[in-house]
Amino acid sequence: MKIAVCVKRTPDSESRFKIGSGGAAIDETGIKFDMDDFASYAVEVGLQINEKQGPGETVVLAVGPDAVQETLRKAMSMGADRAVQLRTDSTPFDGMAVARALAAELKAGGFDLILFGKHAFDTGAGIVGTAVAAILDLPCVTAASQLEIAGGKGSARRELEGAGELVEFPLPAVVTIDEGIARPRYPSLKGIMAAKKKPLETKPAQLGAVRVQAKAMALPPERPAGRIIGQGAAAVPELVKLLQNEAKVL
Amino acid sequence: MRGENVLFLFVLVTAAGFFAFNVQRLVGYMLLGQADWRWDRPFARAWNVLRVGVAQTKILREPVAGLMHATIFWGFMVLTAGTVEILVAGVFPSFSFALFLPAPLLPLYELSQDAFAVFVIGAIGFAYLRRLVLRPRRLDGDGVHHGDALFILGMIAGLMVTLLLSQAFLEVARPGSLSGAHAASRMIATALAAMPADAAWTAHRIQWWLHAILVLGFLNYLPYSKHLHVATSLFNVFFANTSWKGERAVMRPMDLEADDARFGASDVEHLTWKNLLDGYSCTECGRCTAACPANITGKPLSPRKIIVNTRERLMERGSGDTGHRLLDNYITEDELWACTSCRACVTECPVSIDQLDVINEMRRFLVLSDSRFPQEIQPAFESLEKNGSPWAFSRSDRAQWADGLNVPLLADLAARGERPDVLFWVGCMGSFDDRARKTTVAFARILQTCGIRFAILGQEEHCHGDPARRLGNEYLYQVLAKDTIDTLNRYGVMTIVTSCPHCFHQMGNEFPQLGGHYEVIHHSTYIERLLRENRVPLSSAEGKRLTVAYHDSCYLGRYNDVYDAPRETLKRALPVVTLVEPARTRDRGLCCGAGGGRMFMEERTGKRINAERVEELLATGADTIAVACPFCMTMMHDGAKARDASASVVDIAEVVAGRLA
Amino acid sequence: MPNVLVFAETRGAELRKVALEAVTAGRAFVDAAGGGEVHALVAAPSGGAAAAALGKHGADLVLACEHAGFARFAREATAATLAARATSGYRAVFIPFSANGRDLAPRVAAKLDAPLVSDVTSVAQSGDAIVAKHPGFANKVIIEYAAAGPLVVVSLRPSAFTPAESPKAGRVESFAPVADPGAERIVVKGVQEGATGKIDLGEAPVIVSGGRGLKSAENFKLVEDLAAAFGNAAVGATRAVTDDGWRPHADQIGQTGRQVSPQLYVAVGISGAIQHLAGMRTARTIVAINKDPEAPIFKVADYGIVGDAFEIVPALTAAVRDARKRH
Repeated sequence: MKIAVCVKRTPDSESRFKIGSGGAAIDETGIKFDMDDFASYAVEVGLQINEKQGPGETVVLAVGPDAVQETLRKAMSMGADRAVQLRTDSTPFDGMAVARALAAELKAGGFDLILFGKHAFDTGAGIVGTAVAAILDLPCVTAASQLEIAGGKGSARRELEGAGELVEFPLPAVVTIDEGIARPRYPSLKGIMAAKKKPLETKPAQLGAVRVQAKAMALPPERPAGRIIGQGAAAVPELVKLLQNEAKVL
Repeated sequence: MRGENVLFLFVLVTAAGFFAFNVQRLVGYMLLGQADWRWDRPFARAWNVLRVGVAQTKILREPVAGLMHATIFWGFMVLTAGTVEILVAGVFPSFSFALFLPAPLLPLYELSQDAFAVFVIGAIGFAYLRRLVLRPRRLDGDGVHHGDALFILGMIAGLMVTLLLSQAFLEVARPGSLSGAHAASRMIATALAAMPADAAWTAHRIQWWLHAILVLGFLNYLPYSKHLHVATSLFNVFFANTSWKGERAVMRPMDLEADDARFGASDVEHLTWKNLLDGYSCTECGRCTAACPANITGKPLSPRKIIVNTRERLMERGSGDTGHRLLDNYITEDELWACTSCRACVTECPVSIDQLDVINEMRRFLVLSDSRFPQEIQPAFESLEKNGSPWAFSRSDRAQWADGLNVPLLADLAARGERPDVLFWVGCMGSFDDRARKTTVAFARILQTCGIRFAILGQEEHCHGDPARRLGNEYLYQVLAKDTIDTLNRYGVMTIVTSCPHCFHQMGNEFPQLGGHYEVIHHSTYIERLLRENRVPLSSAEGKRLTVAYHDSCYLGRYNDVYDAPRETLKRALPVVTLVEPARTRDRGLCCGAGGGRMFMEERTGKRINAERVEELLATGADTIAVACPFCMTMMHDGAKARDASASVVDIAEVVAGRLA
Repeated sequence: MPNVLVFAETRGAELRKVALEAVTAGRAFVDAAGGGEVHALVAAPSGGAAAAALGKHGADLVLACEHAGFARFAREATAATLAARATSGYRAVFIPFSANGRDLAPRVAAKLDAPLVSDVTSVAQSGDAIVAKHPGFANKVIIEYAAAGPLVVVSLRPSAFTPAESPKAGRVESFAPVADPGAERIVVKGVQEGATGKIDLGEAPVIVSGGRGLKSAENFKLVEDLAAAFGNAAVGATRAVTDDGWRPHADQIGQTGRQVSPQLYVAVGISGAIQHLAGMRTARTIVAINKDPEAPIFKVADYGIVGDAFEIVPALTAAVRDARKRH
């Protein structure tokens, strides 16, 4: 099958963030970037489908500045066959614009399946995959935690809050991938070496009008230091109160 | 007699020719392996041959069985002279050493032959007793060839008996042929004195021929038997991976940029000729397996099997079979991942085989070529790449333990144009693990109290990659190690002290492979030095009367021979302490189970290694288990908790810090 | 005077809590901008019952798109219908950032060729732009977005807007969907409630975990009861406990098990060894219950109770059950 996987380069989720001097972006000093976790699940799913279905092609795409090439190479070291970078000066925050750029590139690609991560760690927006499907008028399944492709059709389990929706759909289609579906393979050194020679094409990204900007970033109020609120069962009412009013999780 | 001599010459030449053919065949197989330069330090190597080989020091680690074998071995060495004499005399009947040995030496020589023949028979008798009656566990398992052993023992016994009988019958046939030095032969001769001279002469010739044929038969049997070690073991010891200071027990360097990219070993031709020679030299004694913590607790790993399989596969490969390979067809993944890299196997092997080398090379293949490894290691690899630590902790938390302790940062000192006397390398466990942090703080306090000018890297510190290397991920290791070396060199670091034996070993012994040369000291050695120099202000109070069992860390002990410093530290800091030793101690100490990257893996088979070790330590009656390694700390702590034991587990630095004035 | 079109999500015919949150948000938005109307669009088999609640929370107009096909999530028809309605005279379209809302919003934005800001916790007009705040980078950085254009689609983080009553007319206008909900290319075959009725650890907003401190496998009932009291909680365990076979390996949270990031993590009888912490440190709120005040878990917990779990947990279970009943 011809499968496209769109990936994003995001900061490592374990990082401690600081705000940059302009107040509208994070300070990138010392921050490690890598393929977004959900994108890596999508790459793994794409590779597994092609491994199971017989010979095919897995193409990875990313929108961003040249730094994303490292991420595309990582996908190729996992086994993707070739990569396309849609180049921008900086990583756009406008999900719809990113979707337009990708849709323009994917349109004539003849892909049977286009995969995305369900959302990315930095924006958590979950816009791009579904928007690409809407622009290309393809069926779209979001947040798939199980996916089977057979005979030109797909079936998936879509994650709802605490339940799963079982769906079937025709190909070609777009699927955004949730966690738990597959463990991304660790690239072997052999794969890393091979990836250096695989084709990586660069084109300018056709974003169209960029209408969403991050105009400011701030750190959330300090998480108050943990505290022992009491002893024994007597402390329970206080805990419940705190969970309701302070932590707002109840 | 001339006909007999010609016949013998014919037999000798045939036997020699056949043997030469096999030697050439086996050497040819061995040369299928990779190149490996082992001609460095020839004197030290020769000394090892004398020590381990001739003096049988490693064999004698087991006193009784060791003496038995040493007797046979020394017997062989001594009797070889006699054998040469006999074989030459078979062609040139008038030949004997008496022709040129000076007078005082001749009787000594003759006595030695007789005496050792008797000793060897005694030893063989004991060997049969062991094999057939006593049946020690380590002589079974892994498909070892009992039949082979029993046959060889019989042959040796036969050799000794025919030797003595041959001489005895000679004495009966021609009285006076043997000098008084042939005590045993003459005694037998006395018992056979009744025999007529002709019969005795015939019997003598028969025994003589039997002896010669047994010798030549034995020689030619060697290539088909595990007793090939007789021919190869001294060479094996000469070429062995010996622990030179500064290179102690290091993993093989790897050039990842090389064009002929082979990563690790999946079959015998990827191993070096030395690994293959190891295969020839293994006698299947099983001492390695008996000492292996994985094997002891029921895991599929057996170091003996690794080497026996190497030899078996080499034989198969040598005769042209390329359909199989060592990995998967002989040695399974489970065996390879069960290893804790404790080096007990290497320490025990009487012929200096390096089982760990094969395991490491095959791990490298699994990870670098095939990305095949236990799933639970992947987060450790990924975390090392992302966070510079095998655990998912943020880099910025690294120096949190030092908050409020006034510990200088190397960067700050450098900015002021200053240099500390020593860099305290904290390590990942010491930085992030709650229990290990206590050790870190304790050691920092000791340094401060003693007025040592030290600094830490703080957030600039990240893992040097040792866990990745132990797990076979040489690529990830080199990235991390090179970056660490860059940082250390940038600051002009020369001396490092660390409380983790893995960090100690990696930076002190393996960094030189990548161009990092530093003096690295383990905190036990460092503290002991300070105590010895009376630089540590200790409380005058007596202190608690603890009964302490010190658990030897593999990377301190077997890897680096540091056994005494931690013990001395305890005794100096706490004079009222009672140190007790567990049954398996010092270089026989049982591993805690966390080495070789196993800290990051699940233990799913058999008994937990740490449970086995804690049981042993507590059986000494100790109320305290002392360690000098954060991995051992976790393992002992978990093990003790699992048994609800009241014994406490402490690092030696904590003991010393608790005794500061 | 901006008007806002709100997607009032239903499950079948029943209005979901997020729908009321969205209407409240819409109401606040237009009021802050000096007035305007809030129209709530319902796509359900029948919209009648919903209209009253929507009106009570500030909807001037309830657009009821009734069709039997909306008994299941008909994403393509819903998106098409919502987009079709949105073209006339709205400043913004508000959609909940629920599982289904996340599916709808980008479709709607694409059809409208409008910008979309997702998962916001506040939204307001600021000059010509709409500004909204989103806790990004896994809640570690608050991003303030500015979206330009005459029509903006905004999806709202569930529980960020508290439903408030602000009664308006809530007059109902019925209309037919612009696309047939029965002709969806994505065909729903069924809905599965969790794996065995259990919520997956990765998805659970609340996780209650037990460790060695529970002393035996039977005592895990305490943990299960507390999880049940939370309603949407999964049960986790430490390695020590799964190794001993008290809980299945799949439940293990930690370095070699699952790594989870729930809203609330309750650690019962867990000391907090490094390997376990590696699996749950990123939880938004951590509660620890342990009898050892020195246990490392208290260093990472937001709230800790020292004491006997066998007394504390049942009390907590009862208290949580009560609190949720009142919700």
